[in-house]
Amino acid sequence: MNRLGMKTLLMKEIRRFVRIPGQTLLSPLISTSLYFVVFGSALSGRISQVEGVPYLAFIVPGLVFLSVANNAFINASSSIFSSKIQGTIVDLLVAPLGPFELIVGFAGGAVVRGILVGLLTWLVGIFFAGPSLQHALLTLGVLVLGAYTFALLGLLSGLWAEKFEQVNFFPTFVMLPLTFLGGVFYNVEQLPGIWRTVSLFNPVVYLVDGLRYGMLGVGMFQPWVAPTVLTALALVSTAIVHALLARGYKLTS
Amino acid sequence: MYGAMSPPVLSIEGLRKQYGNFTALHDVSLEIPAGEIFALLGPNGAGKSTLIGAICGMVRKTAGKVRLFGIDIDEDPVTPRYRVGLVPQEINFDPFFNPVECLEIQQGYYGQKPDPERIREVLEAMQLTSKANVVTRALSGGMRRRLLIAKALVHRPQLVFLDEPTAGVDVELRRDLWSYIRRLRAEGTTVVLTTHYLEEAEELADRVGIIDGGRLLLLEEKAALLERLGKRQTAVHFTEPQQSLPEALGELGVVLSEDGNSALYTEQATSNHGSGRVLGALYSAGLPIRDVETQRPRLEEILIEVLRSGGAANAQKQEVQA
Repeated sequence: MNRLGMKTLLMKEIRRFVRIPGQTLLSPLISTSLYFVVFGSALSGRISQVEGVPYLAFIVPGLVFLSVANNAFINASSSIFSSKIQGTIVDLLVAPLGPFELIVGFAGGAVVRGILVGLLTWLVGIFFAGPSLQHALLTLGVLVLGAYTFALLGLLSGLWAEKFEQVNFFPTFVMLPLTFLGGVFYNVEQLPGIWRTVSLFNPVVYLVDGLRYGMLGVGMFQPWVAPTVLTALALVSTAIVHALLARGYKLTS
Repeated sequence: MYGAMSPPVLSIEGLRKQYGNFTALHDVSLEIPAGEIFALLGPNGAGKSTLIGAICGMVRKTAGKVRLFGIDIDEDPVTPRYRVGLVPQEINFDPFFNPVECLEIQQGYYGQKPDPERIREVLEAMQLTSKANVVTRALSGGMRRRLLIAKALVHRPQLVFLDEPTAGVDVELRRDLWSYIRRLRAEGTTVVLTTHYLEEAEELADRVGIIDGGRLLLLEEKAALLERLGKRQTAVHFTEPQQSLPEALGELGVVLSEDGNSALYTEQATSNHGSGRVLGALYSAGLPIRDVETQRPRLEEILIEVLRSGGAANAQKQEVQA
């Protein structure tokens, strides 16, 4: 294994997003703050409590998850896609870096950005709703596994995309509906019968619920459900991305 | 360093690349010994970059074997890459980093810790020292290409592929690069070069391969090739234009230039006596000679000739197959 090569790619990925903090760190922070202001202020007057917690506190885990997932996804997809467009992907194809090293480098950088923005979002949440952390290990596990899984989905999207408009396909048509219908702003149990059943097929529901249990101590499902779903998703997406990188999918001709 | 007994650092057997019905490489076989400068020549779309891509991991070959340093890249694609460097034909740059950072990253990819001394050395060789800490966005096209060369060399590879390394690089720097490539060879580095500047191949190459339509048409030591296929042209310039030449000169194959100012004679590079006989005949005829110019055999003419005959042979082959 090329440990130094892997570490170099990882550090490069981190330096890449740290150099443009306005775009990579500040911008998501502002959009999350707006969620708190708009949804929190507008709805907390009507919905005072959900599952026994104030509405503003209830949406904190979901918004943290949104930040983690979106930023991990975008970092990985934009990094590999821009490498393809700029032609710098050649440096990686020719270097002694196998699929494993590439996954660790790209996904690692994306996980760091996702967690960082997630923590900043949490700080904003604490400002609006006060602090709460009931199960630290579960919270950390869900955040890291969630960031990793969405980083891999980002890699997949970046590998697949050949045009700029295709880079936005996954975030717009897959991630946005899944996350907004994933119980970030509401309790899935409150949905009418058919929609509740449909929601159970959305993996984001379990992830948001797991994080909510970790941070607030309340949730629909058993605490092991979210880590299990995330581990399964992480393993499947790792296997797919590894296989695609090994055969040079849309990287080699 | 270069010698017939050196084991091949690169060995290719029956390499084929197919894009649908189009065959980009037709069963190419080739061996490159250690310490050689090998020039791969051919027109645009001949298959030069595809061949290099298939060796370096950018192109998935359809069939054939590639061994780098004796290792079959199908069995172990990663290990030999530690010893390989590539200057790709297309200029690329990462706008987030400056040349020093790019070179540090490159060393890291190849499992090496940042080596400031080595980085300083390659930046100096590529005349980029003054731009060491400037973002790559601000570099000119020529500078970016030089940075590509620096990146390909910074990890001290034993085999370097230079795909059009001096395109867009000014003449003076091009000559400096040639000296650097010779120095690399002297240090034992093997160089595979593709170029449109045939002068570059003439200056540097030990051996030349000519490729067209994905077929390797010729593979020969440069000196032997120039000797075998090269033509030497002698031009005798007159002080005043001539209407015609004496019949004896015509029989020797001498022709008068269109403007009547010169007598031109072309002979095989292997010929030892043709020019002398022509010059003697010109003096004997009492023509007003101003000066005599001899042009040494050029790869350009050989390339054109080989491509012409190779193209004809391929067309014939296709006709037979049809």
